[in-house]
Amino acid sequence: MIFQANLNEAFRSLASAKQRTALALIGIVIGIGSVIAMVSIGSMAQQEALRQFKELGTDVLTLEKDFLADNDARAATARGLNLNVVMGLPTAVPAVADVSPYTQGGGGDVFHMGKSLTQASLMGVTASFFAMNKLMIAEGRALSDLDSNSKFVVVGAQLASQITEHSGLPPTGQQIRMGDHVFTVAGTLAKASQAALRRFDPNTAVMVHITSALRLPGSEISLVNARVSGGISNDKAAADIQVHLSRQAGFPGVRISSPEELIKQMESQMRMYTLLLGAIGSISLVVGGVGVMNVMLVSVSERRREIGIRRALGARQSDIKGQFLMESVILALLGGLLGVVLGELAAWLVCRFANWQFAVSFTAIALGVGVSTAIGVFFGIYPASQAARLDPIVALRAS
Amino acid sequence: MLSLKGIRKSYKIGPSEVEVLKGVSLDVASGDLLSISGPSGCGKSTLMNILGLLDRPTAGHYTIQGKAVAYDSDDELSNIRNRCIGFVFQQYHLLPKLTALENVTLPMVYRGASKALMLERGMRTLKLVGMDGRSHHKPNELSGGQQQRVAIARALAGSPQLILADEPTGALDARVGQDIMDLFLQLNSDQHITIAIITHDSHVASQCRRQAVMRDGELHE
Repeated sequence: MIFQANLNEAFRSLASAKQRTALALIGIVIGIGSVIAMVSIGSMAQQEALRQFKELGTDVLTLEKDFLADNDARAATARGLNLNVVMGLPTAVPAVADVSPYTQGGGGDVFHMGKSLTQASLMGVTASFFAMNKLMIAEGRALSDLDSNSKFVVVGAQLASQITEHSGLPPTGQQIRMGDHVFTVAGTLAKASQAALRRFDPNTAVMVHITSALRLPGSEISLVNARVSGGISNDKAAADIQVHLSRQAGFPGVRISSPEELIKQMESQMRMYTLLLGAIGSISLVVGGVGVMNVMLVSVSERRREIGIRRALGARQSDIKGQFLMESVILALLGGLLGVVLGELAAWLVCRFANWQFAVSFTAIALGVGVSTAIGVFFGIYPASQAARLDPIVALRAS
Repeated sequence: MLSLKGIRKSYKIGPSEVEVLKGVSLDVASGDLLSISGPSGCGKSTLMNILGLLDRPTAGHYTIQGKAVAYDSDDELSNIRNRCIGFVFQQYHLLPKLTALENVTLPMVYRGASKALMLERGMRTLKLVGMDGRSHHKPNELSGGQQQRVAIARALAGSPQLILADEPTGALDARVGQDIMDLFLQLNSDQHITIAIITHDSHVASQCRRQAVMRDGELHE
């Protein structure tokens, strides 16, 4: 009964000083909001990383030229990765099931029937590239190793639709020009989802066979994907590759990274972001808590006579304390709930922007409610104790 | 029923001690209608605060129904105030945001009474003071006399041993004040409610069966 009476009284009191209540809420709302945003964006980023991880496979290593390699290899870094050595990896190293090197660079405006359509990057790929990167052909055909030194290309979904839009013709069989080179479109890719583990955007790419691409001046293999054979760990495969490559004369030092490492990198970036939001959140929570305390102190001093009356009618100190504590908790909870809404909204916006899947985080909501209740209690206990300790006679005489 | 023996109360004002009550003894029997009057500054408010357990005496004994008041427990004092004393103040002291009925039932809230019991008792006491038609009005929608009637109903609602009225007619004009006095007289004679009225108004005091006068910290009957 007292609980219910205190609850009613808390709402009545907060409603009678709306402006003050609203101002006190701002700090809590921002604080809880950023904590919620932080937690839910963090968890969604993790989900997203996991999704990408699963999509591209957990068994694909990435080989890059290592610019920080030791002296022996440094001279060799001037040269690119040798295509024959790379393509020989599955035969030479049993731990490697398949390789897919590619070149990236060059590119520029794409012309079709004399009109500039868009900017695209020119990639040199092998036949294994499409399966390795989980890219699907929409129309026409993929490149095969029979396309060596040819000018047949596969174009990304976005470029394909631009060609159709511009000419009204199906893209396959069309001729496009990039710089001095005229290519024939052999196939188009289905739209590929954004994946941070891919270091290129397949939707805007023009893909030619790697042998053709390597004939362009200054062109070299920028990256090699290697699929690890079943039953062998990524670390073992990486070590075997390193051993094999170190025996190849003139081959530059390589850095091998696994998807785990890429995800770790992403996570450490997220951690920075989370820390920043966490700091903002904690500061605003303290500021918000002080705001709550301030409002409660004002409320107590304004209602001294009421406290005196209640005491005269038989309210114990604990009843008075409970009443004001209830008020501060309700105040903080109101702020917390608004903060949860704000935080989820922010998370939703980030998801939309980043093309992630949005899910309401119930952990975050529970956290918001819990933290705001704790703030209400922590910053409300001092004003409430002051109210409870008032001398009834003095309180009754207050104006 | 209530018994004060040798109650002394002194305050420290600067370096000197001022004794406001110099050994007051008073027995209040069930059904009494008692007035305590005297000029301002004579110590009647202090006596009322001690009778109402809002203040602690410096020396002396206070027993309620044969039981000595335990001054060391604030919760116990609150409890006795809640069950044994019903306050009526000069300024009514109703809570402005509560309706008349909610004000009346407030003492019962602190006993953990059920909602049904509070409603029933609240309406019954409001009827006793002739305010049952205004149960859902807020204090600022009521006249001074009506507010004081609600305040009396609040004092009665907990069925205390003693109604302690501090200048209950002080803020009212003479006619309305007399209505309130008539209500006290009627509650005393019909319901046998024990009432102590602290007043400086000799006309009010003269209507009570027992009349005590405070003078210089001492009580004379």
